[in-house]
Amino acid sequence: MTQGLFDAFYLPPGVAEEAETSVQRFGPAHDSVELRLATVTPAAIGRWIDALRAARAERLARRPAAEIHRALERVAQRFLDPGSAPRRSAMAWLQRMGQFSAPMIERALEDTFRPLASGGVSRWVASEVGSVAALDAPARDRRGIPRRATGPEWMLQIYAGNVPGLPVWPLYSALAMKTALLAKTSSMEPVLAPLLARTIAGEDPDLAACMAVVWWKGGSTELDRAAVRDAPAVLAFGGEHAIASIAREAYPDARMVLHGPKVSVAYVSRASLTRAGLGGVAARAAYDVALYDQQGCLSPHAIYVERGGDVGPAAFAAALGQALEELRDGLPRRVLEAEHAARVQLYRAQAHFEAALESRGTRVLTSSQSTDWTLVYEDGARFEPTPAYRTVRVHAVSGAEEVADALAPAARYIEAIGVEAKGSERGKLAGTFASTGIPRIAALGSLQRPALTGTHGGVHRILPFLHWSTVDLGATAAKTRRPPPKGRKRS
Amino acid sequence: MIQELIRFIREVPWEGGDAGGAFADLALRSFRLQCESIPEYGAYARHMGAGPDGVRDWREIPAVPASAFRSHDLSARSEGDEAVTFETSGTTISLPGRVRLRSTELYEASLSRNFARHLLPDRAALQAIIFGPPRSEAQHSSLWFMADHVARELCAGATWIVEGGEPRWERADEELARSVAERRPVLLLGTTLLFHAYFARCAREGVRFALPAGSRAMDTGGAKGTRVEIRRDEVEAAFARVLAIPPSHVVNEYGMAEMGSQFYQDTLLATKERRRARPGFVIPPWVRTRVLDPETMRERPRGVPGLLVHYDLANLEIPLAIQTEDVGARAESRLTLEGRLPEAERRGCSLPFERFLERERERVAEGEP
Repeated sequence: MTQGLFDAFYLPPGVAEEAETSVQRFGPAHDSVELRLATVTPAAIGRWIDALRAARAERLARRPAAEIHRALERVAQRFLDPGSAPRRSAMAWLQRMGQFSAPMIERALEDTFRPLASGGVSRWVASEVGSVAALDAPARDRRGIPRRATGPEWMLQIYAGNVPGLPVWPLYSALAMKTALLAKTSSMEPVLAPLLARTIAGEDPDLAACMAVVWWKGGSTELDRAAVRDAPAVLAFGGEHAIASIAREAYPDARMVLHGPKVSVAYVSRASLTRAGLGGVAARAAYDVALYDQQGCLSPHAIYVERGGDVGPAAFAAALGQALEELRDGLPRRVLEAEHAARVQLYRAQAHFEAALESRGTRVLTSSQSTDWTLVYEDGARFEPTPAYRTVRVHAVSGAEEVADALAPAARYIEAIGVEAKGSERGKLAGTFASTGIPRIAALGSLQRPALTGTHGGVHRILPFLHWSTVDLGATAAKTRRPPPKGRKRS
Repeated sequence: MIQELIRFIREVPWEGGDAGGAFADLALRSFRLQCESIPEYGAYARHMGAGPDGVRDWREIPAVPASAFRSHDLSARSEGDEAVTFETSGTTISLPGRVRLRSTELYEASLSRNFARHLLPDRAALQAIIFGPPRSEAQHSSLWFMADHVARELCAGATWIVEGGEPRWERADEELARSVAERRPVLLLGTTLLFHAYFARCAREGVRFALPAGSRAMDTGGAKGTRVEIRRDEVEAAFARVLAIPPSHVVNEYGMAEMGSQFYQDTLLATKERRRARPGFVIPPWVRTRVLDPETMRERPRGVPGLLVHYDLANLEIPLAIQTEDVGARAESRLTLEGRLPEAERRGCSLPFERFLERERERVAEGEP
């Protein structure tokens, strides 16, 4: 599947023909991948934006949203079919990029595309917009007020490559609201977005005419500026500097959603720490730690464990170590570059230092003869991000308040907290953590499977980019569409 | 002990010079002393099962993570009578670490011999132009302590380009112009970043100097830990273009505040010895560097890159064995460093560890013009 050159870009017909391309190597020198890229210049960006805007006006703006959503749902279904060409190509090229092991890529494709298939796009849009019809004409909202939602004419999306599948929901969100799209991929993962764009082109050429997916080196000021300067909307993932520079360059009225670097944490209540349940809790925590090798913002770096259960936090730590050990084969980590492994080793040595000298009961558990996993156990809550790649801290704590206090200074860097709890304490814990402002509170073991209808970084995926036309003509309002009634009442 | 170490550092031959196992003997004795004089280090060594009585081979001396200088006091106990306090930079989160020395004699012995060999193999007495602040303005910087020492002990005089935290480019212009006019070669010493900034400014203003033959430069730091990517060949080309200093007379240095000794390229020495420069940095004979497989921590074969652990006999009041997060390879007494991943490529919606690191490094870099 990875024979030959991969076109790591997508340009719509009309501009594709005149684009220059070049072949570049990506990845580490000893195992680099050759990809064909479109040559990006400020002038080319300008031409592409003009073409995308024209295509949107002709081929997207007046189409019924439901029809667009159905096409996108069919495409999602193709990526879920293990035998389909796009699925096999995605598997092969994502593996070739060397960032994640095959079982993880499988999981990522499943978790990314499943919620979009079988009516998923329409349900998602309806959950944010109120109704799909509101994207076509004024439709009555829940209070009976007719409103129409319009997406931006076009938007710039800048992807990160830290988790596989990251570009998919953003790319869908643009087309779902009839917005043309210029997308910039990450050098760590420049393959899935162009592959998705080509698959959309095969299913619905009108949609694909409104998108361009290219790569250029982040921080190339002239190119960044040409792309950002006039964008009416921007959705970007990236490091803090990249995010800050986008915010500086953007049009003052642009609708912007910028996702900077974040991590997650987890909490295990004493009631859930029973002898019978320990293995299961540890396995769920290990899964959240191991999936995507802690490269995602939903990866836990610290697990806070309540004292006083049938089994204590130290026993939980030991069980977590065992569960991580089992995942060495079950969900293998990728092979680390020396510099990342060296950082993990330095972190371990530092933890040993703390174990030798401090009175927090620090213990260091590690995989043997490898950096596959590292667990640092200590008494008391605090927050300190680890060097990742399955390096996690376990803290014995007295309760949620102690954790909330420890997280407060770092709250803006925390995306989610995974919670393991029983019965009524769930609601209570959720209340405590929600008061810290952490955007997502999820069940342990499903941290990395966010709901499509939920939020990212505390904001919705479509709603922030829409603007609304509200019809306020009084009682004699003209014909408007009503949302389909929910559950017909017997008359 | 200190006098023995100084003697060894001054006298050990550069090539194949440790036949009697003097390095091993001194390292083990230093280690045992350090287990007592630096209580935190002794506790760590014992915790790792490698206390003063258990270690028989210098390779078994437990290396402290460079980050531990930030979390713990790793200098030998003193009653506030230390001569210098250096701040360490850039390995992990938390406040800067400290290196407190009561005596700088060992440090200076290592520095003088190593610097003279690699920057002044012709024993020239040159005027120094230091692209950095005088020591009085950077009391806690080991680098500017070093520059100060070189200026005082090994040079005919010196000018500092940074004053009050600001680079005074016109001062550099003046000194360089004087060197050209008087046909008197100079020694330039500074951080790669500051040279880079000066070259950029010279390019903007169209300023160039044809420095007389024999002029040379030592630059240190590269662009490590910053978002600026500076390629080595570009640095060398800029020295040639702006100052007419050929690559054979530009010497890169690799060092850290946690080590009393530094590593230099042998470009200038090779020129003096009429041979080709060897790649990498020279490991002075009073330092050993082990290259470990970062997964297994086992020693790597010659030439294969791994994480670097240094054993430096110039470290007496701080532990001599330092585990770094640097990656490189060793061949005989030379060390090649692997480049770090370019910062710009490390994007993602995670990685705050890197971000924290970066912020920390920037803070340090800003303190150090």
